[in-house]
Amino acid sequence: MKAGYRKERIDRGIKARADDIFAISSYREILYLTGPRILAVLALLIYPLLTDVTGAYWQTVAFIACIIALLTLSWNFLFSVGLVSLGQAYFFGVGAYFTGFFDRTIGLPPLYSIPLATVAGAILCTIIIYPVLRLRGIYFALITFALPLFLMRIIEATGYLGGTEGISGLQRLPGITFSLYVTVVIVLAVTFIFLRLFDTDYGLVLRAIHDNDMSVLAGGLNVQLYKAQAVFIAAMPATFAGALMTLHYRIVGMPAFAVEYSILPLTAAVVGGTGTFAGGVLGAFILVPFSELLRAFGTLRIVMYGIMLLFFVVGLPEGIYRFAQRKYFQFERIVPLEEKADEK
Amino acid sequence: MIESMLVFGLVNSAVLMLLALGFSLTFGLSGVANFSHGGIYLFAGYLAYFLLKMGLPYFIAVVLTIFITALLGAAIYKLIVIRVRGIVLNEVIATFAIGICMLEFFRWLGFVTYEYSLPYIARGRFTIFETTLDYQRSLIIVVALLLAVFLWFFTHRTKTGLALLGMAQDEYTALAVGIDSDWAATYSFAIGGAFAAIAAVMILPLGIININIGYEVLLIALAVTVLGGLESTKGLILACIILGYAQVITSTFFAPHWKEAVYLAAILIVLAVKPSGLLGKFKELEERV
Amino acid sequence: MKKKKALWGLLVALMLLSVWSISGCSPQEAPTQVASGEPIVVAIPTALGSIEGRDGVRAIEMAVEEINAAGGVNLAGEQRPFEVVTIDTREHEAGIPIHDALAALERIILTEEPHAILFGAFRSEVLLASMDVIAEHKIPYIVTTAMTPEMQTKIAENYDEYKYIFRMCLNAPYLVMYLNQMMGYLETEFGFNKAFIVAQDVLWAKGTGGGVEAWLNNNNWEVVGFDVYPTGAGDFSSSLTKARQGGAQVIVPIFDMPQSGVLVKQARDMEVPALLAGFISPAAPENAWDVFEGELDGLINFIFEIGPLPAEAVPMSIEFNKKFGEKFGESARASLAGHAPGPSYDSVYVLKEAIERAGSLDGDAIVAALEETDTYGVIGRIRFDENHQVVYGMDPAETALGGAFQWREPGVRVPVFPEMIAEDDIELPPYM
Repeated sequence: MKAGYRKERIDRGIKARADDIFAISSYREILYLTGPRILAVLALLIYPLLTDVTGAYWQTVAFIACIIALLTLSWNFLFSVGLVSLGQAYFFGVGAYFTGFFDRTIGLPPLYSIPLATVAGAILCTIIIYPVLRLRGIYFALITFALPLFLMRIIEATGYLGGTEGISGLQRLPGITFSLYVTVVIVLAVTFIFLRLFDTDYGLVLRAIHDNDMSVLAGGLNVQLYKAQAVFIAAMPATFAGALMTLHYRIVGMPAFAVEYSILPLTAAVVGGTGTFAGGVLGAFILVPFSELLRAFGTLRIVMYGIMLLFFVVGLPEGIYRFAQRKYFQFERIVPLEEKADEK
Repeated sequence: MIESMLVFGLVNSAVLMLLALGFSLTFGLSGVANFSHGGIYLFAGYLAYFLLKMGLPYFIAVVLTIFITALLGAAIYKLIVIRVRGIVLNEVIATFAIGICMLEFFRWLGFVTYEYSLPYIARGRFTIFETTLDYQRSLIIVVALLLAVFLWFFTHRTKTGLALLGMAQDEYTALAVGIDSDWAATYSFAIGGAFAAIAAVMILPLGIININIGYEVLLIALAVTVLGGLESTKGLILACIILGYAQVITSTFFAPHWKEAVYLAAILIVLAVKPSGLLGKFKELEERV
Repeated sequence: MKKKKALWGLLVALMLLSVWSISGCSPQEAPTQVASGEPIVVAIPTALGSIEGRDGVRAIEMAVEEINAAGGVNLAGEQRPFEVVTIDTREHEAGIPIHDALAALERIILTEEPHAILFGAFRSEVLLASMDVIAEHKIPYIVTTAMTPEMQTKIAENYDEYKYIFRMCLNAPYLVMYLNQMMGYLETEFGFNKAFIVAQDVLWAKGTGGGVEAWLNNNNWEVVGFDVYPTGAGDFSSSLTKARQGGAQVIVPIFDMPQSGVLVKQARDMEVPALLAGFISPAAPENAWDVFEGELDGLINFIFEIGPLPAEAVPMSIEFNKKFGEKFGESARASLAGHAPGPSYDSVYVLKEAIERAGSLDGDAIVAALEETDTYGVIGRIRFDENHQVVYGMDPAETALGGAFQWREPGVRVPVFPEMIAEDDIELPPYM
C-alpha cells in the first residue's frame, strides 16, 4: 500500500437505490436484490432432475451436501445464541438412533418415523444438555465435543440399540431422487425460517444473548430458558438429517456419532462464515463436493479439511459468504489521504 | 486381585498425569486450550521412532525429540495461534485443525501398522504386592512424580516460572511489570510440547504408536484438566488418581469398554455439577458460567 | 496486508502442488503388457490403509500382472486384459461412518463401471450393508477379508437378490472349527482345561469367541473369562490379571487390530503363565519377531488361509511367497498379513476362469460360472458351497486350508496345525 493513500469501500449505486422501498420501481433493481437468491433456489430445485446429466453418483454427493448443510444450519443457529458446538454428531446421532428404534421396534413407516424421530430427538437432546446450558464459550464446546463420543461409548458398552453392529435392514426409501428432493426442500425451508425468525422480537432476544447475556439477564429475561428453546429449535434440522440419512442407507450404528459429522459442519460454517445461515449452506455445498473430488487421496482429504479450516480461521475469518456479499454490494477504491483532515 | 488393581491403578494414574501435564500447563499459563496436544504427542512418538531408526543412541534421540517437540510447540503459537489469540472459538478451531492435520497426515503416510513402536528404556520386572510390575511401568510412575515436583519448583522458585505464573494470574498487572504476554505464551507452548514429548517417550513403548491414540490423548487431557481445575497441581494429581482408579475398577468389574466412557463421563459430570473442577477456585467459576 | 495475503496464497498453492506430485507417484492401475482389447475392469473398494488391504491389493495386482503377461482373459475368443481400480473406504478405522464406506463403493461402481469387484468390504458390518448396494447393481463380488457368517444367512434367505456375493476367505465358523480342534489337541496333549478368551468388539471376533466358548463349555473346559475389547484398545492388564487369578492355561486372543500386539507384550511383562493360542494380526507376519523384540516366543498364531505361511503340503503357497518377494521385495514379503493375501490372489484366477467359462461379462452369467468353480490355488482346493462360501477343512487336496504356527527361538514360524502341514509338535514355552 502506498503511503498517503487508503482504501475505501463504497456501496454500489444500484445497491444504494435498491435498498429502499423504491426497489419495486425497476425490474433491474429487483433482479439485483433477488437474483442471487432466486438463482440459488432454482439451482437447488432443478439439480435433482438432472440425474442423466450428472450421473447417480453426484446426486448422492448432493444429498450428503444437503445433510451437512442441515447440520451447519443447526450449528449457525446455536452460534447465533452464543453456543459454540464442537459436536453436531450428537444431534445427528440421536436423530438417527430414534429412527432406527422406531423402525425396528414399532415398525413405523418412514412417513411417521422421520418426523417423530426429529421431534423426539430434539426433545431428548435439549433435556440432556439443559443442565450445562449455563456454561459459556469453550466449556460448552467441550461438553458438545464429549457428548457424542460418550453416547457412542455407552451404546458400545451396554450393547443396547444394536451395540457395535447397529441396526440394519431398515425400511427402504423410494430412492436417491426422492431423498434429495426432500432434503433440498427442507434445507431451503429451514434457511428461510431461521432468517425470518431472527428478524422477529424473539430473534432479537436470541441475538442479544449472543452479544451480551448479562444485559439480557438484567432485562429480566430467563436466559437459560431462551437458550433451551434455541437448542430445541437448532436440534431439529440436525436430528432430521440423522433420521433421513439412517433410512436412506437403511442402517444405523455407532458411526452415527462419528467425529466427521462434527468436523464437517464446523468446517462448512467457518468456510461459509460463522453466524450466516446462507453462508453455512454455501459452505456445505463447497466443502462436500470438494471432499469427494479429493477422495482419491484417501485420508489426505481430512488433512485438507484441516488446512481449509486453518486458512479460513486465520486468513479469512469472515467467511466466503460475507466476502462475496461485500464484493457484490460494494466496490473498493484507493483514495488519497487528506492530510489536513488528519491534522484536525 | 485387589493388590494388582492398586498397582495398575497407580500406573494408570501416572500415565494420565504424563499425558495431561503438557496440555494443562499450556492452558493454565496462556489460557489457550491447545487442541493439537494429541498431534504433538504423536509427532514426538514418530520423531523418536525415526531418530532411533537412524541409529542415534537412545539418550541423544530422546533429548533431541524433547527439544524439537518444544520448538514445534513454540512454532505453533508463533505462526498460527498468535493470530487468533483472544478469540476463544478461533483458538480452539485453529489448534484443533492443526491437530487433525498432523494426525491424519501421519495416517496418510501409512504410519499405522504394528511396526511403529518405541523400545523400553529398561527391560525386566519385579514383584510387589504379589503383582509383577515391569521396569517401564514403574519408571512412568517415577517420571510423573518428578515432573510434578519439577513443575511446582519451576513455577514457584525460578524467575521464568514466576513470570509465567504472574501472567496466568493477572495478565494486565503482569504486563504492567514488564512481562511480555506473547513471550510467556510461546514459552508455555514450548513447555507443553516438551512435556508431551516426555510422555510419548515414556508411554508409547507400552503399546504401538497409533493414530487414534492422538485423539484419545486429547480427551484424556481435557478430562483431567476439567476435573482437576486449572493451575492447581494438587487438583491435577487428584484428578489423575480418581480417573486412573475409576478406569481400572470399571474395566475389571464391568467391561473394558467403560474405560473411555470414564473420561467422558468425568467431563460431563464435573462441568454440570461443579464447573470449577475439584480443587479449582472461584475465579474460574466466573469465567465458565 | 497484500504481501501477507499473497504469501498465504503461495503457501496453499505449494501445499496443493506437493500433494499432487506425491499422489502422482502411486500407480493406481496395473500396467497391461500382452493382452489387447477393452480391459476387464476389476474394482477393489476397501480399507487400503490396513495391512490386510495393502497386501490383498498387492496380491491381486500380482495375479493380474501374471494373467495379463500370459495373454489375459480369453473372452469368447478375444484376449482381454484385466485392469485394477482401487478406492479407499477407510473402514478399518474405528468410527468411520458406514455411509462413507458405501459412498466409496457407489462411487467406484458408478464411475468406473467395473465388471467384478474383488477383495470387497474389510469390516463385516460394511459387508452386510454393501450387499444391498451390490444387489442393486448386480456385479459379481468376491470377498476376501470380512468374515461374518451372516453373509451366508442373507444369501440363503434371499438367493436371487444376493447371489452376486461370494467369499473365498475363512469365515468365523470355520475359524471356530480350527480353534476347537486346536483346543482339543491341547487338552489331550497337555491336559489343559482352563481357558480365557479375549476378543475384539467386532462382529466376526465376537462371533468366533462365542463359538469357542460354547464348544469349551460342552467339552469339560472351564472358561475363566470372556472379555471383549473395543477396537483401538491398548491396555489388557485387567483381563490378564483375571486370567492369572483364575489359573487359565490357555488364553485365546481374537483380534485384527494392530494394537493387539500389546497383549503379547503385556502378558510377558506381567508374567502370565499361559499359552497364547489364537489370532493376533500383528503377530502373524514373518517380521513380527523383531518388531516385538522376541517377546512372541511360544505364541501359537493362526494363519487364516495358507499362502502367507509357506506350507510344504501346498506347493503353490511356497511359489506364491517366492513370487511376492521378487515383485515387492523381501521386507514386503516378511510383513505379509496372516489374512487375505492368499484368497485375494486366488480370487483373480477364479474370476478369470469363471469369465472364460461364462464366455460373457454379464453379471448373472459370471455368477453361474463362479458357482461351478473347482480348482486349486495357494489356499488349497477351492469350491463354493451353496451359500457361496469356499469350503475349508483339514486336507488341502479336498478343501481350502487354514493353519496355525508357533513362534520359536530364534524367530521362526513353525507350522504346527493341522496335521497335514504340521512340521513339528506344539511345545510349551519356557515360562509355563
